[in-house]
Amino acid sequence: MAQHKDTLFRSADMSLTQLYIANEIGREVVSALGELGVMDFRDLNQSTSAFQRTFTQEIRRLDNVERQLRYFQSQMEKASIPMRSIYEFDNILAAPSASEIDELADRSQSLENRIASLNESYETLKKREVELTEWRWVLREAGGFFDRARGQTEEIRQSMDNDDAPLLRDVEQSGSNADAPADRSFSVMNIGFVAGVIPRERIAAFERILWRTLRGNLYMNQSEIPEPIINPETNEEISKNVFVIFAHGKEIIAKIRKISESLGADLYSIDENSDLRRDQIHEVNTRLADLASVLRNTKQTLDAELTAIGRSLVAWMVIIKKEKAVYQTLNKFSYDQARKTLIAEAWCPTNYLGLVKSTLQDVNDRAGLSVPTIVNQIKTTKTPPTYVKTNKFTLAFQTIIDAYGTAKYTEVNPGLPTIVTFPFLFAVMFGDFGHGMILTMAAIAMIYWEKPLSRGKLDELFSMAFYGRYIMLMMGIFSMYTGLIYCDAFSKELALFPSMWEWPKNFKVGETVVAHRMDDYVYPFGMDWRWHGASNDLLFSNSYKMKLSIILGWSHMTFSLCLSLVNARHFRSKIDIWGNFVPGMIFFQSIFGYLVFCIIYKWSVDWYKVGQNPPGLLNMLIYMFLSPGTVDEQLYPGQAGVQVVLLLLAVAQVPVMLFLKPFYLRWEHNKARAMGYRGIGENTRVSALDDDDDEGQNMNGGRDSFADDEDGAVMITQDIGDNEHEEFEFSEVMIHQVIHTIEFCLNCVSHTASYLRLWALSLAHQQLSIVLWDMTLMNAFSMGGALGVFATVVAFYLWFVLTVFVLCVMEGTSAMLHSLRLHWVEAMSKHFIGDGVPFEPFSFKVLLEEEPVE
Amino acid sequence: MANGWSLLVGLIFILVFCAVAWFASPKGENQTIWRSTLILSAWSCYIMWAVTFLAQWHPLIRPERGDLRPRVVDHGPDGMF
Repeated sequence: MAQHKDTLFRSADMSLTQLYIANEIGREVVSALGELGVMDFRDLNQSTSAFQRTFTQEIRRLDNVERQLRYFQSQMEKASIPMRSIYEFDNILAAPSASEIDELADRSQSLENRIASLNESYETLKKREVELTEWRWVLREAGGFFDRARGQTEEIRQSMDNDDAPLLRDVEQSGSNADAPADRSFSVMNIGFVAGVIPRERIAAFERILWRTLRGNLYMNQSEIPEPIINPETNEEISKNVFVIFAHGKEIIAKIRKISESLGADLYSIDENSDLRRDQIHEVNTRLADLASVLRNTKQTLDAELTAIGRSLVAWMVIIKKEKAVYQTLNKFSYDQARKTLIAEAWCPTNYLGLVKSTLQDVNDRAGLSVPTIVNQIKTTKTPPTYVKTNKFTLAFQTIIDAYGTAKYTEVNPGLPTIVTFPFLFAVMFGDFGHGMILTMAAIAMIYWEKPLSRGKLDELFSMAFYGRYIMLMMGIFSMYTGLIYCDAFSKELALFPSMWEWPKNFKVGETVVAHRMDDYVYPFGMDWRWHGASNDLLFSNSYKMKLSIILGWSHMTFSLCLSLVNARHFRSKIDIWGNFVPGMIFFQSIFGYLVFCIIYKWSVDWYKVGQNPPGLLNMLIYMFLSPGTVDEQLYPGQAGVQVVLLLLAVAQVPVMLFLKPFYLRWEHNKARAMGYRGIGENTRVSALDDDDDEGQNMNGGRDSFADDEDGAVMITQDIGDNEHEEFEFSEVMIHQVIHTIEFCLNCVSHTASYLRLWALSLAHQQLSIVLWDMTLMNAFSMGGALGVFATVVAFYLWFVLTVFVLCVMEGTSAMLHSLRLHWVEAMSKHFIGDGVPFEPFSFKVLLEEEPVE
Repeated sequence: MANGWSLLVGLIFILVFCAVAWFASPKGENQTIWRSTLILSAWSCYIMWAVTFLAQWHPLIRPERGDLRPRVVDHGPDGMF
């Protein structure tokens, strides 16, 4: 069979292939096919749940390894250790062997244990350090408290002895106690104390609770620790206070302890004797120094370990991800118990079959297996998936089409003409040489720095623009062209050629001047620049742009309609040509083709020379329907007759479109039935699966089915899924055709009108850029002197920023959306069938793109 | 310089361009893309140019303006080519 190349014109030819893989090399084969990325494996175990499948154990194990790797990653983020980027690896695509995977699993297990234990000891040490620091603060602050408290022992006692002591007595007696021996020990006086540290935000509640429960029988001192204390578990900073509470009596002290512990305070024992305290501080300091060195060592070991992991973590993640995908794919295969082979079914582009076979051969040779992997092509009635091969230029254009729907298998792919028509229709609306240049330069910059940009992280809006950079390039180039045609560059004229209009030499200032035309000369390229600034500029350009949009719309739709002819010929459906395409084309051309003809004819006649009034085309078209046969203002002789014929021709197409196809299909169906044919699956089903059911064989039906290589006709599990044959029902076909006919005829009118958006948007764009110029730079130019210089600079920046953001970004987006609509609705409705199934190959590349490893 | 015949000259130019694009497109798997893109672009641009040309061939109205001063007319731009 002569193979033709896969192009963007149609989706690639697909074959359903069956693979018989020896069980031992199943993993290697699937891994190699994943690197190729051209096989779309069908799930042969749809009835089995995820837990019952063959390779669930392996997937669980890999899940565990993946979890460990993520744990390393989170630890590295916590310690802010950088990972080696994925782009620094050269050969991450090399498939690992099974033993390497095992080794990796063991290694990550032991590494996890080691990191976990290091972490644990680090955290314990850290906690110890915090405790010691807090204790040191308590010791340091407590000295002052004790000195102060000693001066007030009497008060503490008295306030505790006597609940109803008047408040003022403190003040009265404070003088009399001054001579009391100040260095009497607290213990002698039966005054106990509690010292500790508490988070600052709790201090108010703490004080209140103590006051209420002890009825004021306490003396509390507190001070803020100037530096925040870091909680080692959460790494959060907490500011804390030191407190020392003096109270009288053991029970009260015990109560205070309980309350403070329940409020999250840490209590530390200190001595009241200042000498002993000094010793304690010394001890704490040495212990802290020891701890710090141990901590440093532990941290260094941990960091070294993590850095070592970081060097290859990304590669491991990729390997595990691939390995998991391999087993998930293997789970789709059915397993022949008796012959120890895996059986797989996959869709594969026919042109890649050779590559697949040679890859499988390679894998076999490497494994040194004598049993070859068998690749079988199966004949099937199933709809193959639609696969359109794209490159980085065509990808974004194809995405536009795929966003609307997946094309039917091997129907004309509208993505190919879209490469031109989409940016061109955009440019008709966006036409301005300067704005087009900005767009082109932005696109060129993105293409030039393609590699660094595609690796970095982009925000959502910019990544969208980056994805469509080639669309943007085409849009920019075409916008420059249409800008030249419209003679607009940042709303100013471009005087490329001598004008066809001349202003008269002598006139009074303020008088309305009418230009006169140079003899036998037409401005050769685009609009004449003398129209710029003319008071009747809009009158002329509106008429021109309106007709331009009708002509472009007509060409676009005729082109799209012709694609339906190509489709019908490709699917060998004559009835679609004679029942849909031909009447549709005649209908469309006899109304709108005629309109386009009239527009061009009217332009080509020199009405002044003829000495006749130019007829209005809009009225002509309306009266062609309202009063056929009468023409008010004649465009050309014999017009009335031509119009009647065209109208009759158009009307005659409606019944043809309505009835030809459904009745032909019915006739064909009846003929087939009369000859004794029945639809597949109508009464009987003939397939290998049925035989298995009859015999009550094992669930895969593998034993009795064998591949017949000559005609490749055995389909073991081919009947999985729905039966795709539908019964012929005349009423359904008829309704479908009625809808199609009504839609087509009405759409011819509404779609042509819809192309007028080209005119509207290009008018809006041009007027907006004129307004912007007049409001900013033109105002600045009218000023003189230093103010004029200053105003020009300011106005320029204002003008430039607004030009980029309003005229290029905002207007560009709106023009793009309108162009998108013209493609999806106006053009694609003429030919696109779009009931295809997307081709989703098992590919490591796609896998890594969808879930990138950072 | 430019008159009605220009339309025909343009058409011939585009036809020649299309023929060259068809045969000179680089071989390989992107040949279809080259051919379709070049030819469609050429036609789109031709239609646009031709429509603009036709619209000015026998214009029904002439530019008017009320803000002219004699000086501007004397030194008005005369085209780059």
